[in-house]
Amino acid sequence: MTTPTPVQIFRSEERRERYITGSFFLKIGLLALFILVPFLFPSFKSVDLAMKVILFATLVASFDILLGYTGILSFGHGMFFGIGAYSVAFLMGKYGSPSYVNLLFGVLIAAVIASFIALFISFLSLRVKAIFFAMITLAIAELAIVLATKLTGLTGGEDGISISMPGVFSVSFTLGKFAGVEITGRTVTYYLILLSCSALFLTMLRFTHSPLGRVLQAIRDNEARAEALGYKTFIFQSIAITFGCVMAAITGGLYAMWVGYVNPESSLGVMTIMLDVLLMVIIGGMGTLYGGIIGAGFVKVTQTFLPDLQDLAMTLFPQAEFMHHIFERWLLLFGILFILVVIFFPKGVMGSIRDYMARRSR
Amino acid sequence: MNNDKIAMALKPAGHWERHLPLAIGMGLFLLPLLGIPVKTYLTLTIAGLAMGMLLFLVASGVSIIFGLMDVINFAHGALFTWGAYVGFSIFRLLNKWVDAESVLQNVGAFTIAVVAAMVVVAFLGVVLERVIVRRVYGSHLFQILITFGSTIVLVELIRVLWGPNDEVMPVPLRFQGNWDVMDVIVLRYPIVCILMGLAVYALIQLVLKRTKLGTIVRAGVEDLDMVQAMGHNIFLLLTGVFAVGAALAALGGLAMAMFTLQVYPDMGSTYLLFAFIVVIIGGLGSVTGSLVGALIVGLAYNYVAYLIPWAAAGVNILIMIVILLIRPTGLFPVGK
Amino acid sequence: MNEIVLAVEGVHTFIGRHHILQGVSFEATADNVTVLIGRNGAGKSTALRSIIGLLPTSEGRILHRGREIHKKKPYQIAREGIGFVPEHMGIFSNLTVEENMRVAMLVEDAATAHRLERTLAMFGDLRKFWTAKAGNLSGGQKQMLAIARAIVNDTSLLLVDEPSKGLAPIIIESLIDAINQIKEHSVVVLVEQNFHLASSVGDQYYILDDGTVVQKGVMEGLAGNQELKSRYLGISKAENPFGNEQ
Repeated sequence: MTTPTPVQIFRSEERRERYITGSFFLKIGLLALFILVPFLFPSFKSVDLAMKVILFATLVASFDILLGYTGILSFGHGMFFGIGAYSVAFLMGKYGSPSYVNLLFGVLIAAVIASFIALFISFLSLRVKAIFFAMITLAIAELAIVLATKLTGLTGGEDGISISMPGVFSVSFTLGKFAGVEITGRTVTYYLILLSCSALFLTMLRFTHSPLGRVLQAIRDNEARAEALGYKTFIFQSIAITFGCVMAAITGGLYAMWVGYVNPESSLGVMTIMLDVLLMVIIGGMGTLYGGIIGAGFVKVTQTFLPDLQDLAMTLFPQAEFMHHIFERWLLLFGILFILVVIFFPKGVMGSIRDYMARRSR
Repeated sequence: MNNDKIAMALKPAGHWERHLPLAIGMGLFLLPLLGIPVKTYLTLTIAGLAMGMLLFLVASGVSIIFGLMDVINFAHGALFTWGAYVGFSIFRLLNKWVDAESVLQNVGAFTIAVVAAMVVVAFLGVVLERVIVRRVYGSHLFQILITFGSTIVLVELIRVLWGPNDEVMPVPLRFQGNWDVMDVIVLRYPIVCILMGLAVYALIQLVLKRTKLGTIVRAGVEDLDMVQAMGHNIFLLLTGVFAVGAALAALGGLAMAMFTLQVYPDMGSTYLLFAFIVVIIGGLGSVTGSLVGALIVGLAYNYVAYLIPWAAAGVNILIMIVILLIRPTGLFPVGK
Repeated sequence: MNEIVLAVEGVHTFIGRHHILQGVSFEATADNVTVLIGRNGAGKSTALRSIIGLLPTSEGRILHRGREIHKKKPYQIAREGIGFVPEHMGIFSNLTVEENMRVAMLVEDAATAHRLERTLAMFGDLRKFWTAKAGNLSGGQKQMLAIARAIVNDTSLLLVDEPSKGLAPIIIESLIDAINQIKEHSVVVLVEQNFHLASSVGDQYYILDDGTVVQKGVMEGLAGNQELKSRYLGISKAENPFGNEQ
């Protein structure tokens, strides 16, 4: 064996350190928390909330691959999510029947379709300025929604498609009680999705820490220079976009499994999915995959407990009619929050933490 | 950059490039004649031109704002919607005039609505630019994000102030109905739109080419720093241009609402999309480009809507894709 | 002692994370052409852009006729009578020569008209191509236009950044004539790498290297100083591509 290069020495040291720093324990702790949720907070609402957080964290991380690591804003991410959801729904519901095989196929087909569309989009749109790419992805996403709504025969239109899960995952399945909690098909599904999302998340982490990921960051920071160094930026960007979109599609498939129902508004909607993702990635922090977890957690928890907040506001200020109206339009508040975060905390929670840590170590 | 390499490889030599806009225009105009009866063709053409003119109103604002300020304004659609709603309220308020037979009262109501819409939205535009957009000069990404957020806030405010439902847009009596010209039914309102659009285009060109202010704006589109270094207060200029762009969007929104006879909170997003497609086709920073692009989009949409209804939404995206492939800078690129 | 029209004191300027100007100080006095010379990347253009306000300074002061200008906006600085001719000339290609000049003229009165006449007399080609698109002009003509724009107002201080760049020697000669005429009315601060041009019009010089002033003096003194020339300007005795060294 030849003597290791300085880079190799650095990388192996970094690898060793990774497992002993404080943040590692934090991550393990978080994972443990998610594993224990069905037992600690067994109510439907809590488990549903946790699952949504996990799913959206993964989706946001996949979006961050495009935005934070490659520097590309795409409004089409919700569409890929929807493609995954519809793909699973088609095979499990409309055009097939619930079975393990169909489940797997649904996800695989979603990945394949997503990669084709992603490649097409990246070829087309990397030729134009970033803002036009954003607009184009928005246009295509809106087109997808229109198609999904209008082509009723094909997609079930506005009513959407309902699916039920097979065998072990089905609602009627039960393993009996464990630690005082009933293990149903729902619980099994929860763990399946948790496992899958963790796997997806780890894959994305590996991707960003790989040499490929580093090249992407170089491209993001200074495209001209990366080109001058000999990297065909276009190829790297296409790979990143495709990877992120495929991850999103798979996550969409998992989402369909949990929610059991897909329709254009909830699965493809720009105002619903895309807005949430944007808000989460901004709050959590761009360019930090973990930011997705924080962002998803914050937004989903707020959304879930917002009705309670509204009641609270109503009881505290019973006279302020206008205020009631404002609270009813929670989207308005979200919009304002969004703007404020973009102006004052553009780096998000994770980003600010990382800056702080960097400054401390100096 | 890769874009340049690919664009250069695909660039056709010399002459036929300049005739591209004309070629597309002619093709668009004449092709449908093959499949559509003449009378319907005329109706569709007028509708297409009218829709095009209204899109031009929205798109020109976006084009100039981007060309001059290098700012991408997603909130334009929301400003468009506000224009429609302000006009809606004015018409409701002046309903006696709207329903009257008198041309004077009809035109009066219309004028007041237009002025009110443009003033209110120009004001919104100024607030938007100074408070929000100014903080994110230089970063397209944050501009998109922040104007996207602003859109949400503006649209939700509409829901708060006017309610979330679709409403029927009142239209002054004299603007409705049609003329019978040589056995062809010509709707009145689209003609009004076309004339209005042409008037606005002429006015903009006049200001840009014949006034000192317009010259400064055109110079700024090329090199804003230099204009500033030559002693001009570009901050006033930028706010002013933003306000004008907003006012144009408002006019477009009001006129579009009268065209489609409805107002609804989300109407901005559909037309914003169209506006961006127009700007891509026409070329950034070019008012003429916006006009031509808008007419192409309007016509294409109407012809296809008649021939293959479900493809209407998609055809313009298709045109945009084609333009992106053969001429990414648009039909009338403003050289930077 | 001549009046100090421009004083730059200990100025630091960053471009992004790069610390370009690291404490630059120099003065330009009335009836004088001050030349900033130095290698690429030394910070000469950055110095001019900092003076005109297009780049913010993080430390130090810039004074015009004793009044601080480093915190002002570029248009305010320009209105004090400071003209700027940037490195890339900054002419508006899609506008005609006439329109370029119109944008330049801040007020349109008799005095400005008189100055315009004087300027067009100096640069005959501009009158010839008055209605032509500025983008169609030759390199030398564009440079003339850029300078014309900067002097048509009541300019007391003219900042010129590398006017000779990319121009043929014969054009450079006419540039020298022009600047010699201009210096009768305005103080000129010139950034130049072309030593021939610099020494033909300059009265005093400052050498910039790595973001600071390393040498200064009277122009005649520099012409004969081979050591300085080769150290900071990269001019060796053998090199003599254009113009005369002695």
